[in-house]
Amino acid sequence: MKVVIGRYVPGSGFFYSMDPRTKIIALILLMIATFLIDSFALMLGAIGLIVLLMMAGRIGIKRVYLGLRPLMFLLIFTFVFQILFNRQGEILLSRTVYYSFLSLALAVGLVVFWFFTKKFTRFKLFYFVIMVAGLYAIFTEIGNVSPFATGTLAIYEEGLSMAAFIMLRLIIIVTLSTILTITTKPTDLNLGLEHVLKPLKIFRINTEDIAMIISISLRYIPTLLDEANKIMLAQASRGVDFKEGKLKDKVMQIVSLLVPMFIISFKRSDELANAMEARSFTPGATRTRLHQLSWKRLDSVAIGIAFLALSLSIVLRISPWI
Amino acid sequence: MAIKFEHVSFQYKSIDNKGYLALDDVNVVIENTGEFITLIGETGSGKSTLVQHMNALLTPSKGSMNILGVKISSTAKENKDVQFNPIRKQVGLVFQFPEYQLFEETVEKDIMFGPKNFGVSESEAKKRAREAINIVGLDDSYLSRSPFNLSGGEKKRVSIAGILAMEPDILILDEPTSGLDPRGRDALLEVFYQIHTSLNKTVLIITHDMNTVYEYAKRVLVMREGALVYDGDPVKLFSRKNIDNWNLDVPDIIQLKDALESNFHLDMSGTIRNKKALLKRLEEVLS
Repeated sequence: MKVVIGRYVPGSGFFYSMDPRTKIIALILLMIATFLIDSFALMLGAIGLIVLLMMAGRIGIKRVYLGLRPLMFLLIFTFVFQILFNRQGEILLSRTVYYSFLSLALAVGLVVFWFFTKKFTRFKLFYFVIMVAGLYAIFTEIGNVSPFATGTLAIYEEGLSMAAFIMLRLIIIVTLSTILTITTKPTDLNLGLEHVLKPLKIFRINTEDIAMIISISLRYIPTLLDEANKIMLAQASRGVDFKEGKLKDKVMQIVSLLVPMFIISFKRSDELANAMEARSFTPGATRTRLHQLSWKRLDSVAIGIAFLALSLSIVLRISPWI
Repeated sequence: MAIKFEHVSFQYKSIDNKGYLALDDVNVVIENTGEFITLIGETGSGKSTLVQHMNALLTPSKGSMNILGVKISSTAKENKDVQFNPIRKQVGLVFQFPEYQLFEETVEKDIMFGPKNFGVSESEAKKRAREAINIVGLDDSYLSRSPFNLSGGEKKRVSIAGILAMEPDILILDEPTSGLDPRGRDALLEVFYQIHTSLNKTVLIITHDMNTVYEYAKRVLVMREGALVYDGDPVKLFSRKNIDNWNLDVPDIIQLKDALESNFHLDMSGTIRNKKALLKRLEEVLS
């Protein structure tokens, strides 16, 4: 399993001994604080603080980086989008873009070449940057051979800074949530969520039910994965090749996987409901717990610090000096 | 020599990267005609993992196998050019739980699904579906029914028909009689035995029922903790002393025979593998 987001990694350190409620509330406070920050220096300062926190809590930076990696595409996409379409502030760069048969052909060729060779290099990000630079050169210089259309590529100051800002914000938010999920067991997380959501009771939303739904879903993810794997093997025995096949076959393959999946899930949920009722589970009734959450001094300190960070960011946002 | 395993080991990967050794250095040769094999062992001993190797659903972590002339080794690189689908057509594997494979609107379509995947024409697949459903002991009226409104035993039969319609050379069944009533179980075992004798095909059955093993099998494989600990004659297997270590039951017929010998001092020598033979011997001794 390569996906790191949302996965608990056993370890030690103060994050692990914190109450899940603390971690959830602190995460929300710090996220709001991140959105309030509007200067580069502060943003970098915040990142520095988070790195320090991670080092103090003995969470490997590499782990969090692995968590960020699947989001790299999203990050790059928002970055490029902001740069290209935000047209405010001073113009930093303005170039004519040539659309010709040569430039389009070269661009497609380069992207295809990059797609097939990227797995042979160990510096994937660097290779990607080289590819983008190549695309830039093709459209602005090399492709200037009898173009049938031209356009302008303009980068504005505001666009660049907004792009950088959004990217940093996303990185901070994902890092903070990764710290939460790495250090908190799904069951604890769920229990914490149940307590944090308790105020919703005034809107007549039963938070215990929501928590139960979440915990059952979490519990059944591995089971369903296992089941899906078994169904795939059973259908592969009947000649379904999940790797290949035309579009028409693909639809049939997915149907042959999904239908048994649904049937088994419904059957399972039915059985689970019966098993729960056999053990006197009553929806909405007050339940006691084996594991009680305990609020420690560490939690009070952590919440205090999170509040401090939030108020600091509010003050810095509205104060006239910065 | 249709299926040949050479030092095959298989490790399931787990989250903590320790892995679980499901197959441990298995060497076995299975002919593609004329064998009737039962595979026994405790739950978790690696029986299902072993049969999933036999039609290349799983490939070994170590060692190599040769299935109907196709060599499959432990590295993805060497297996790159292997065509897996023809192997699965020739080695038909029926899974333990029919719920994992039934998905079509009607039983007929579901049985036709396998053959059609292997390029059999619509009309031919229809013909085969009709034949297959009759072989497993259900009548034609089932063809138009939904596979989800059937009883557990009927679902099981339909899932077996789905594989039979592929007309495999080797038929492998993972606990085909679990969840069936005694009469249905006997009828189905008779069907497998018929397929074996009339078409001279190799049939391999995973089972926990020692009576099945003793009555039908020409050859028995015993798995224990991922290793193949016995490969040979079932009569010899149950006369061995160490079968208690393998947590195997003694078949009813042997228990009865032993009781007759020790309690009534009857001479029950000779190979007695089913009720008929036992009765015949009793008549001989008592008359």
